Amino acid sequence: MNPRRKQRLLAVSAVLVVVAGAIGLMLYALGQNIDLFYTPSEIVQGKKGVKPQVGQRLRVGGMVVEGSVRRDPDSLAVNFDLVDTGPMITVSYQGILPDLFREGQGIVATGYLTQAKHIEAEEVLAKHDEEYMPPELAEAMKGIKHVKPSEAGYQKE
Amino acid sequence: MLAELGHFSLVLALLMAILLAIYPLWGAQRGSATLMATARPLAIGVFLFTAFAYFCLSWAFFENDFTVAYVAHNSNTLLPWYYRLTAVWGGHEGSFLLWVLIFSVWTVAVAVFSSSIPREFLARVLGILGLVGVGFYLYMLLASNPFERLLPFFPVDGRDLNPLLQDFGMIIHPPLLYMGYVGFSVVFAFAIAALIAGRLDSTWARWSRPWTLAAWIFLTLGIALGSWWAYKELGWGGWWFWDPVENASFMPWLVGTALLHSLAVTEKRKVFKSWTVLLAISAFCLSLLGTFLVRSGILVSVHSFASDPTRGLFILALLMLVIGGSLLLYALRAPQLRSIGRYQLVSREMMLIGNNILLSAATLVVLLGTLLPLVHKELGLGSISVGAPFFDQMFVYLTVPFVFLLAMGPLSRWKQQSTSALGRHLLMAFGISVSAALLIGLGSDSFSYMATLGLVLSIWILVATVQEVRQRIAGSGEMFAGIKQLTPSHWGMVLGHLGFAVMIIGIAMVTSYSQERDVRMAPGDSIELAGYTFQLQGVEPLRGPNYTGHVAIMDIYANGKKLNHLEAEKRFYTVQRSVMTEAAIDVGLTRDLYVALGEQLNNGAWALRVYVKPFIRWIWAGALLMAIGGCLSLSDKRYRMAKLAHKASTSEKPQMGKASAMGEIKRADV
Amino acid sequence: MKKLSLFLLPLLLFLLVSVFLLQGLFSDPTERKSSLLNRGVPDFSLPDVMNDSIVYGPEVFDNQITLLNVWGTWCVTCAYELPFLTQLREQGVRIVGLYYEQDLDPDFGAKSLRQIRLDIDKKLGQLGNPYAFNIFDQQRSLSLDLGVTGAPETFLIGPQGKVLLHHIGDVNERVWQQKFESVYQRLSGQALNQQESVR
Repeated sequence: MNPRRKQRLLAVSAVLVVVAGAIGLMLYALGQNIDLFYTPSEIVQGKKGVKPQVGQRLRVGGMVVEGSVRRDPDSLAVNFDLVDTGPMITVSYQGILPDLFREGQGIVATGYLTQAKHIEAEEVLAKHDEEYMPPELAEAMKGIKHVKPSEAGYQKE
Repeated sequence: MLAELGHFSLVLALLMAILLAIYPLWGAQRGSATLMATARPLAIGVFLFTAFAYFCLSWAFFENDFTVAYVAHNSNTLLPWYYRLTAVWGGHEGSFLLWVLIFSVWTVAVAVFSSSIPREFLARVLGILGLVGVGFYLYMLLASNPFERLLPFFPVDGRDLNPLLQDFGMIIHPPLLYMGYVGFSVVFAFAIAALIAGRLDSTWARWSRPWTLAAWIFLTLGIALGSWWAYKELGWGGWWFWDPVENASFMPWLVGTALLHSLAVTEKRKVFKSWTVLLAISAFCLSLLGTFLVRSGILVSVHSFASDPTRGLFILALLMLVIGGSLLLYALRAPQLRSIGRYQLVSREMMLIGNNILLSAATLVVLLGTLLPLVHKELGLGSISVGAPFFDQMFVYLTVPFVFLLAMGPLSRWKQQSTSALGRHLLMAFGISVSAALLIGLGSDSFSYMATLGLVLSIWILVATVQEVRQRIAGSGEMFAGIKQLTPSHWGMVLGHLGFAVMIIGIAMVTSYSQERDVRMAPGDSIELAGYTFQLQGVEPLRGPNYTGHVAIMDIYANGKKLNHLEAEKRFYTVQRSVMTEAAIDVGLTRDLYVALGEQLNNGAWALRVYVKPFIRWIWAGALLMAIGGCLSLSDKRYRMAKLAHKASTSEKPQMGKASAMGEIKRADV
Repeated sequence: MKKLSLFLLPLLLFLLVSVFLLQGLFSDPTERKSSLLNRGVPDFSLPDVMNDSIVYGPEVFDNQITLLNVWGTWCVTCAYELPFLTQLREQGVRIVGLYYEQDLDPDFGAKSLRQIRLDIDKKLGQLGNPYAFNIFDQQRSLSLDLGVTGAPETFLIGPQGKVLLHHIGDVNERVWQQKFESVYQRLSGQALNQQESVR
């Protein structure tokens, strides 16, 4: 192997190592930052047999149960229940709710699962022009006989 | 009637574009001067008919002609006249009309400003622009005609313009952005013409450079303006959200920046030819892809009028033809290209390779993050979103080596740079930047690693830039004479790099030292944040031309003195039935004070969001500096192609005109 | 040869991306299949929007082909499809409205039921009234059961009360011709045959 060839081989392998490292780094970062979408019943019963882990970052979409919004009188802390077709989960949020947040309305929250049925949300989104339900939620709920937000309260343990 | 004229005018523009796609290309192939000479008048014809169509649509908006479906969907009698005119690009069809209008402006600009380019080559470039134009016009006429009538049943009033778009920033943001997107079509046409002719020499790179620069300037300004608008208008105090629409504009920018640098190498050193061509093609392809993502209905609300996959299919077919065709041509022709120059490991070429690799990697990161949710869903793995932290993290990793090379590039010579000389410069820059950043970081109240890193990076660029200018003028003895000798394009580079440094400071400070509080306040309450006292005076009802709402009146005190009086609004747009937050901002060089009104709580209290955003203006100031740098480079005499043509129509491209004012310019760079 | 494959890489990458784009285009939410398709309309008991004392149930869809159109006076896109739906009615298509009112939401400028009825009359008077009657779904219970995500949406319901088509977005001439007409014609043909065989 002549020196020139050797040099080239070295350069190519260096580039390969760097590229592999970069891809690995990127996939790792990606794995940390993908937020999977769940509905409340998927959180409780599992999605395709897989339940989300406590501590996992995720997005959840459901209907805000009527009468479940509880505000702290002195701060902006707020709790509310979310439901789709089955069990409910509770969402806590600290801050200003979106302009279009309503009881009985479909919302999507992004945050961490802190207990089996409890989410600390970092962000709450509501859409309310002609769409009154986020498409992902509608897709998850379509065609299923669901529990109405107003009736969901009766199921509460 | 005018709407029908507009429609007819578009059809004529299409016919002109078809002729433009045939005659000059054919002429160039056969060497027929007559056929090639048709290119210029045809390009002008396309422009005139498109401009007339655009005027017709604007008139329909101005006159509230709700028989035109597009007007009815995007305007309202209550809308002020200036928003009625900008509402032309408030929806899909109109913004596409604006897109083709800008496309025809660029085409005419090429026809007018390129008289120094060989006739045959120019004919090819214009022919390819015509070919791409045929696709655009066909799409417009077949799948998204803005002149469609709502007859015989038409509404008495329109559905109003999306309130998000009723803002000054939105008046100029889309045109600037489109100028950038479509500007890359010119670069694309140059690259394809060169591939067809098999003439990818350094003259090709020289001809492409000013067009790349011009498109890049517009894109830079457009993106910066969009970011400023989001900050002001969305009420979250954020300046970049990594949402697909933003990403769609960011990718062509990243590739465009890489292209700017790679063209310089190809022009001066005749290397990386095939890579540069690929970048030129990708910049435009990513612009088109961005348009596809934004306009096809993959991202738009399903209940508006875009519920029609034919549109998306049409765009996809167009993409397949344009992108697929050009990449195929590239794959066939590029292997024949030979780079002749040789260079060593430590040389400016290598630094610029590094720059290109990092910018391409950044583009891939953005592309991956944008498309992954779609791919994930299509593979049946469920619906996901890629969070902003992913992009943030990746961009921190990419920025550090990028800045490291950015400082070294201009300091290095072409071909081979002595390592020891470069090392001395870098050691000094490193020492100064680290010690200065640490001094500032430790001197402030709270130490932050990210902010310190940002400071190190930007001071590193600053010091290296000063060193580079000093090194340049050192040869000419006297300092003043030396400074005069530097070319505008050199100053353009200096300013561009400094702009980037300024932007890094802004980003680092905002992300590290922003303070925010969501608070519950009743009239008379006050809160303290970062040494400022915000006192809520009251919340009053509000009534505008097409909205109602509330306005919070807030007084701000610093050290017991009243600083400013802010009015943050919450508007409810009655026709569109949507709520908008109009934040109130006290603007400052070193900090912004930002107040947004939230929801009404019980007992007369309101939720309010209060931010102190340090150095946020620096982000946009940095972008502005980069754009000014671009203008300076563009004004360089080397790029002026046709002095006569320039005299004839300075009004259309003012950047081209500046060169005459620059006085005597000598070429100082190698 | 090896070199050529290197230069083909961008093209292959793009083709891969476009496959997903194409797929994404057709799995667009407007195009998705509702799992309700070919199943019966869920059970409901809801009043007429104009008259509380009339109550409708799933039997209103029996023995007729019906378009069930989800709408509201607040929804602007709905207003645009009213004239076309009215045309359909004039051609003999039976259209039933499923009405939902945003303005009864106290946070959005409370309107009284009376005011809403006036609004409906006004709107239908202006743009044409395609509806045989309107079911008032204030709690959105039926809408949710049907998998409605917003307005306007339209369902084609067969004579056995089965949901045969679900369209999201406005119904216009093109949508009607491409999506609804063939199914509608087939159904009405069957209905005619049945009538004739009875005779």
